[in-house]
Amino acid sequence: MTFPTLNFPVIAPQIVLVAAALIILLADLMVANKRILGWISLIAVIGALAAVFVCRSDSAAFPLALGGPSGPGTMALADGLGLFASAAVLIAAGLAILLAIERVGDFSRFEKPGSEKKQARSGDHPIAEAPGPQVTDRAGAYYALLLLATAGMTAMATASDLMTIFIALEIFSLALYILVGFNRRDLRSGEAALKYFLLGAFASGFFLYGIALIYAATGTTSLEAILHNIQPMSISLPFRPLLPVGMGLLLVGFGFKLALVPFHMWTPDAYQGAPTPVTAFMSVATKAAAFAALIRVLAAVASYDRPWLLALAALAVLTMTLGNLAALRQTSLKRMLAYSSIAHAGYLLIGLAAGNQLGVEGALYYLLAYTFMNLGAFAVLLAVQRRDENDVTGDRILGLAGRQPLLAALMAVLMFSLAGIPPLAGFFGKLYVFSGAVEAGLAWLAIVGVLNSALGAYYYLRVTILMFMAEPAESDQEISSGKVETLQPGWAVMTTVVLAVLGTIVLGLWQWPWTQTIAQAVSTLALR
Amino acid sequence: MEQLFFILLALLTLSAALMVVTTRNLLHAAFWLILVFFGIAGFFILLHAEFLAVVQVLIYIGAISTLIIFAIMLTRRIMDPQQPRFNSQWGLVGGLAALLFVVLAAVTTRVAWPTTSATLPAEPIKQLGADFVGVYAVPFEVASVLLVVAMIGAIIIARERG
Repeated sequence: MTFPTLNFPVIAPQIVLVAAALIILLADLMVANKRILGWISLIAVIGALAAVFVCRSDSAAFPLALGGPSGPGTMALADGLGLFASAAVLIAAGLAILLAIERVGDFSRFEKPGSEKKQARSGDHPIAEAPGPQVTDRAGAYYALLLLATAGMTAMATASDLMTIFIALEIFSLALYILVGFNRRDLRSGEAALKYFLLGAFASGFFLYGIALIYAATGTTSLEAILHNIQPMSISLPFRPLLPVGMGLLLVGFGFKLALVPFHMWTPDAYQGAPTPVTAFMSVATKAAAFAALIRVLAAVASYDRPWLLALAALAVLTMTLGNLAALRQTSLKRMLAYSSIAHAGYLLIGLAAGNQLGVEGALYYLLAYTFMNLGAFAVLLAVQRRDENDVTGDRILGLAGRQPLLAALMAVLMFSLAGIPPLAGFFGKLYVFSGAVEAGLAWLAIVGVLNSALGAYYYLRVTILMFMAEPAESDQEISSGKVETLQPGWAVMTTVVLAVLGTIVLGLWQWPWTQTIAQAVSTLALR
Repeated sequence: MEQLFFILLALLTLSAALMVVTTRNLLHAAFWLILVFFGIAGFFILLHAEFLAVVQVLIYIGAISTLIIFAIMLTRRIMDPQQPRFNSQWGLVGGLAALLFVVLAAVTTRVAWPTTSATLPAEPIKQLGADFVGVYAVPFEVASVLLVVAMIGAIIIARERG
């Protein structure tokens, strides 16, 4: 009997995150000031990020557990792809925690039963009063779940076995279901959590069924062994039909998690109902983790066969077009950004559908750019959003530039980047992805992508125009008459927005270190 | 003989499963579900996977069904006979489900499954245990993180509801 040899550095980020989550749960019992817990979790995320970089400098790829690089017990790989996607997830988690530090009380605090009357009056300013014995603050559980979700996502990004991919997927999905429904005061939050949970559980069933059929066809769950077994003639012909069906079911599971179009029904409701910091986190981090896993699975199972690429291309077209068309008609900004994130998943999928070096590199670059700009956009919404509300409508940002010029300017940068205007990161992401598609002979896909970007630019620019063009005199009147509440966003929220904008600009202007890392990461994959 | 057992077992399991989704009383649905689990344990025995059959009985009937029944009994207003059984989209969904069934059935019946495995271990249970702490030690251990998340979530959702 052989015990596995564990390469602990490979899972160092996950160990740090899980340990910190458990420490926070314990500290929650002893610490009265819950803000400290937020700082602990932020330090844990930074520590995990440092661990990722240490792993990277050690070696390009080394496996976790048993045997050599291609042994059957390889459960996780700290290769370039995994580390890059982990870094994106951790950046998203760090920013999301910073975002929540001041506002977590809005949705984590609730009064014990029997004191509802008191809550009705003080509901607007829960932060102002000291947490008395009647008030329960669940901020500790919030941070712990966020860290556990992050651990699951980084695990999924590095997992190299269908078994570990599935467990990691379940860990972060389960944590996200709870986080989406964290706001007890808002019925929408509960509805969103239930919808997300039911559809997510359904998707897990598809995912698992796909894994079972792939296992039946190839006799293994290890991605590397699958790649080896599918090599022409090494797999007996009668088993052939199992593989495409298994891969199809797996793709449906991924489609649900990534909110690709026929499987996107839950996205607007879940993103709108979830507390805004959670929406900011899940809209970017889930995509980073699931796209990394999808790239890995496609490289092993589909080996970039033409039919699969066309299926992905069809999904990409559907996702982009429907996401953008639906986003045009939204009045709630959170819902608009939810549909826009569906559209961005479509752009990302173009890179995967291209299936070549350039396309996958573009998708990874886009993933990082999307992390910064989409998280930043949700952070701005949180800054504008009132404490007792969980949504922002178009008229709330009307004339924002007059009231908060800095915030409006930062939001404008994020909107320009999401729309794909040079020289911001969003533009280069689209450029790389589209040129990957052209190189793969899918020029029509690139054209559909460009047309969709134009469609998307309309509603992003509309937000910018709403902020800058409205007469400030009118909104001044509204402020004085008490219609619009002036709300100064806290410094932590502002820092998050500034960091996200900096990331968007730096990624666009100073590219070579990123593109080099990405090129290295992609070169180890078995692409066409 | 085995064929006969299989047909009887399949009929039992399928009709019980049909009852699970059509009965109006949630508690009755839970009891029918137990019958479904028994049927599946029977399939495992027919496939000579006795260990899996025992595990099926222990975990699905012993633990999960009990949990479901507890959850139903402890939840107020869950058994509302006024709830409509179908919504407007049942035709579309039923069609998609039927399509999925046809595809899966077509594929699985066309595959020539091997009737005997060349390398069947002498003691499958021993091999299973060794794999849990050997090759699959990492997923096995990581599953505990999943349980921690589920536990925190259960406490968050259930605690201090008015």
